[in-house]
Amino acid sequence: MTVQMIFLAFFGGAAVWFGVVVFRTHSMVRSALALLFSQTAIGAMFLVMQAEFLGVLQIMMMATEMSVMAIFMVMFMMDPGGMGKMDMTHQKRLSLWVGVIGLLAALLLVWLPDWGPVAQSVPGAHEQAADLGRELLGRSMLIFQSAGLTILTAMVAATMVAIVPNAEQRK
Amino acid sequence: MSILVVLLSLAAGAYALAVIERWAVHGHLSLTGPAWAALALMGRESLLAHKSDRLFFELGPVLLLVAGLMAVAVIPLAPGLIITDLATGALFLNAALAYVLVALIMAGWGPNGAYAMIAGWRFLGQFIAYAMLIVMPITAVAMRAESLSTVEIVASQAQLWNVLYQPVGFVLFVVAAMGLAWLPPLDLPDATGELAGGVEAEYTGVRLAVLRLARMVIILALAGATVTFYLGGWLGPWLPPWAWSAIKILAVAASMLSVGRYMPRIREARYLALSWKLGISLALANIFVVGVIALVVPI
Amino acid sequence: MTIAGAHAGAMTGLRRLISTAMARDLTAFVLPGASVARSMGLDLAGSPLRIVGTPRHANLLIVVGPLPPGLRDAAAVTYAQMPRPRAILALGAGDIAPLPDADVSAPLTRAGLRSGLADLRRVIAAGAFRADSGEFNAPALEVRVEYTCPMHPEIVRDAPGDCPKCGMTLVPRETASDGHGGHGGHVMPREDRPNPADHAHAGHAQDAGGSGAYICPMHPEVISDAPGKCPKCGMNLAKAEEVESHGHGHGHGHASHAPSAHGDHAGQDDKAGGSGAYTCPMHPEVISDAPGKCPKCGMNLVKAEEVESHGPGHGHGHGDHGGYGKQQDHSGHDGHAGHGGHSKAAIDGIEPHFMSMVEMTKDQPRSSDGLQMDWIKVPFGPFFPGLPAGLRLTLTLDGDTVAASDATSLVGATDLMDGPQMRVADFVERLATMMPLSPVSYRALACAAIEVAAGVEPDHDARRGRAAAVERERIASHLNWLAEFGLQSGFLWLAARAGALQLAVQGADVAGIATQAGAIRRLSRRVQAAPLMRMRLRRIARIGKDAPASGPVDRARGGGSDARTGDPTLKDLGFEMRVRNGGDALARLRLRCDEIAQSLDVIAAAGRIAVPQVPDVDRVSGEGEARIETPRGTASLRVKLANGKVVEADLDTPTDVNIALVETVTAQQELGDALSAVASLDLSPWEVRG
Repeated sequence: MTVQMIFLAFFGGAAVWFGVVVFRTHSMVRSALALLFSQTAIGAMFLVMQAEFLGVLQIMMMATEMSVMAIFMVMFMMDPGGMGKMDMTHQKRLSLWVGVIGLLAALLLVWLPDWGPVAQSVPGAHEQAADLGRELLGRSMLIFQSAGLTILTAMVAATMVAIVPNAEQRK
Repeated sequence: MSILVVLLSLAAGAYALAVIERWAVHGHLSLTGPAWAALALMGRESLLAHKSDRLFFELGPVLLLVAGLMAVAVIPLAPGLIITDLATGALFLNAALAYVLVALIMAGWGPNGAYAMIAGWRFLGQFIAYAMLIVMPITAVAMRAESLSTVEIVASQAQLWNVLYQPVGFVLFVVAAMGLAWLPPLDLPDATGELAGGVEAEYTGVRLAVLRLARMVIILALAGATVTFYLGGWLGPWLPPWAWSAIKILAVAASMLSVGRYMPRIREARYLALSWKLGISLALANIFVVGVIALVVPI
Repeated sequence: MTIAGAHAGAMTGLRRLISTAMARDLTAFVLPGASVARSMGLDLAGSPLRIVGTPRHANLLIVVGPLPPGLRDAAAVTYAQMPRPRAILALGAGDIAPLPDADVSAPLTRAGLRSGLADLRRVIAAGAFRADSGEFNAPALEVRVEYTCPMHPEIVRDAPGDCPKCGMTLVPRETASDGHGGHGGHVMPREDRPNPADHAHAGHAQDAGGSGAYICPMHPEVISDAPGKCPKCGMNLAKAEEVESHGHGHGHGHASHAPSAHGDHAGQDDKAGGSGAYTCPMHPEVISDAPGKCPKCGMNLVKAEEVESHGPGHGHGHGDHGGYGKQQDHSGHDGHAGHGGHSKAAIDGIEPHFMSMVEMTKDQPRSSDGLQMDWIKVPFGPFFPGLPAGLRLTLTLDGDTVAASDATSLVGATDLMDGPQMRVADFVERLATMMPLSPVSYRALACAAIEVAAGVEPDHDARRGRAAAVERERIASHLNWLAEFGLQSGFLWLAARAGALQLAVQGADVAGIATQAGAIRRLSRRVQAAPLMRMRLRRIARIGKDAPASGPVDRARGGGSDARTGDPTLKDLGFEMRVRNGGDALARLRLRCDEIAQSLDVIAAAGRIAVPQVPDVDRVSGEGEARIETPRGTASLRVKLANGKVVEADLDTPTDVNIALVETVTAQQELGDALSAVASLDLSPWEVRG
């Protein structure tokens, strides 16, 4: 149990530290990849908590997502290497407030509700994967399918919104 | 103990692949070539580009090697001969190989050179092409095996190998695997004729040796994955299981390395178009067909 | 015995082992290029060397033939990029300054190569490490510091100061002394190069001017007829309709915004609400009571209350990674349009001096799909694998699409004569050696021109022999092109096979060629049928029917001309002009394969090959002109003889015509396609005049 807690604390600390690096660094790519490693640390936390499928999934998805984010940052931001001295942060006070409020809300959510007793044993990984599969294709199918379709629709809509006005502007 | 055996066979396999790759690229077959080359690389000066992102420059090859090793960790060479038998082995393989992308982005961005940077971002474009195609065939394979564990997947092929059961998935997986390992004809990040070596060009000395070793390990991992998912892993008559694994993995890796010699590089736009329009449709159809067959046919 | 490029360190046991390893694992980088080496008869691929495409991976620099003066600086840069220990092998090269003296010199023959390599192995094994190895210095490697504005990289000054456009302090930047690098892209091993990642937009043109009223984005009352600077804040004036349609600007420009919106600023962070306060558009925390310069970046300060909040100008999504060449795949959208329909009203919560990236980059040129991306200027220098050796191609890349291109030759043939008059034999020899990729054709051209000038007629057999020699060179040249194309497109089997066949054909007589003919025809069939070849080349590098072109590039458009059609000798031998339709790179490939097949037939019909002989001219005077169809196109030479010596000569080459097509074929192409396009033109930088 304690070994688990130590690893949990270690990965949790790593996640927080990488998160801080995201904002401290001037380089866009470093920022994106620091976020990537922060998410990987969270995935590792899942693994430590013996949620194998979730952990592996988190690690896999975040690698690819953050890399795509990295290239978008390079494409659209000036000075992606962080070599200039420009201060690229905006709305500092607002974001500080939002961050603090969010943290308080998260802490309240962690401490206040009754999450039930701590599980003494966890089902084996094979069983977890099988149960997860049944859940996804059973009770939660509607949620996941609609979420997937919504995301796809949003992507297509965003692209359409971006193209159409310009096509008219370009005579 | 089994970990040690697996790692040693990995080293031997990587060496064999280096010999094959040297033949595929330069046309000379020399058994001691890679050994001399590795030794020579150790002694060479390490050049560092000015104003490079030092962290990424150093981290790129190391992360590539780590990704390769993690991927190899779930490949079974014989019953019981596997570094770790995770319940989600197939997915873990994919997760580890996703870091190949991260490593190449670092290796492209780090050295502060135009060729490397273009190469790194091109790999991202290539990734968008192969990403779906490397996961969807695995889905179909896991469906048949009713498990994500690599050992179970091999065991499920006892009566019929997946290459015959799901040939479409096999083809898609192999092509996507070549894209992941940036093997020709999908070697956009490394194109000699277009980018003078791309991401590899900025590395010299020991770092280059690590990069090349990492690439061999990744190719080996992908060959191992192909064999595990489609070619029946260690299954086969007469010879002991580890021999079958070795033969199959080396054969697959050799063909992946050599086929690119006989084809020009594919254009990036074309690769993306083919992967998304043709590839994903085929992959979805494959999943559907495999699902139907798995319900109906009792093998 | 040590090598000039030895690595620092004493020779210990381990290092001795490593030196032996290096001697056995020779990786070579060839100057000026493998294609030139093959044309000179050298079989580098057959030797135990490994030829690599970048000097960073090489430990041996092979100089083949004398180094042209235009390539010396580039050679020095290439050598400097090789990690030590590094050695130089000079084959028939003579003086190779500014490179250090060659470690091993050998004549330019196959035997010379073998003996040179053997010597080199001994030298490297013994002398790879040396306790006191020095640095390599050359004038081309010197570095110069220039000053540039982070926001406007086209402003470059030699001394520190302020940017005339925005007022920011110029930042120092190191750059090559002559402004360009040698081997493409890797300019300096230890020095900086203008980093694409460093600054946001590199190397683009100044703002375009134009008609229409210009107003200042922050002071709508300032109206001017010409572009310039706002007298109030120093910012560049923008076109009136642009300011309107964008709907925002940092410091807006429209009179339409309601005065009440100012009230929204009252609670904004980081800003003093007092009147007359000045702040920096990029650093809102800088407040000053008087106009001046921002202490952080040097920009002119702007009045705080005139700056109005507005919605974010960027953050639109773009579906696929930009720059995949096929512009129709892009959603061609303007940088601002990501929030199409955005209102002009102030939006709460967004800080006032919001410097929208899109707004800041508004004056910079946009790519054809409207997406503003990072532009970088990348040289594909004279020794790039797959491109003709000696061609410096500078591409301005917009993402990975080519926005602009510039092709120059570093080895161009400028002086045909080395004095006021030359002996005929010397002139012919000079012209032939000037063109290492097709010496026989130019020798034939020179001989023909002199014969016309002197009124001498070669006999029937000599003419047939000469025609066969030119056709043999055509086969060799097209095979050479196929080999280089194979290298460029990653088709390594083709590169190896075509190179081997070229070497076999180059010096062979008719019988020898007949034995190779079968293999050559099989190669050309196979390359046309190769999987993915059509996909790679179809519709790439298309040129229209009216663009001037020469040679196979011209005849692949379904028409064109061939200097051989008027030649009775060739007509006897069964020559017919071959043509292909399509005008793209695939058509050119097929046409060159057709021409190879036809040349094989002509040689078989001719029966014997005779290298063109210098005509015997007594002290005649006269003028003459001749034309010949070189493998790359029509070349014409005009000579003037006086007293049996050549006094004047004028040459037109096909590459002079074709090199102008580089711009057309690379425009808006993805990088790989652009390079294939340039390769398909089969340029010979040695032929570029002036």
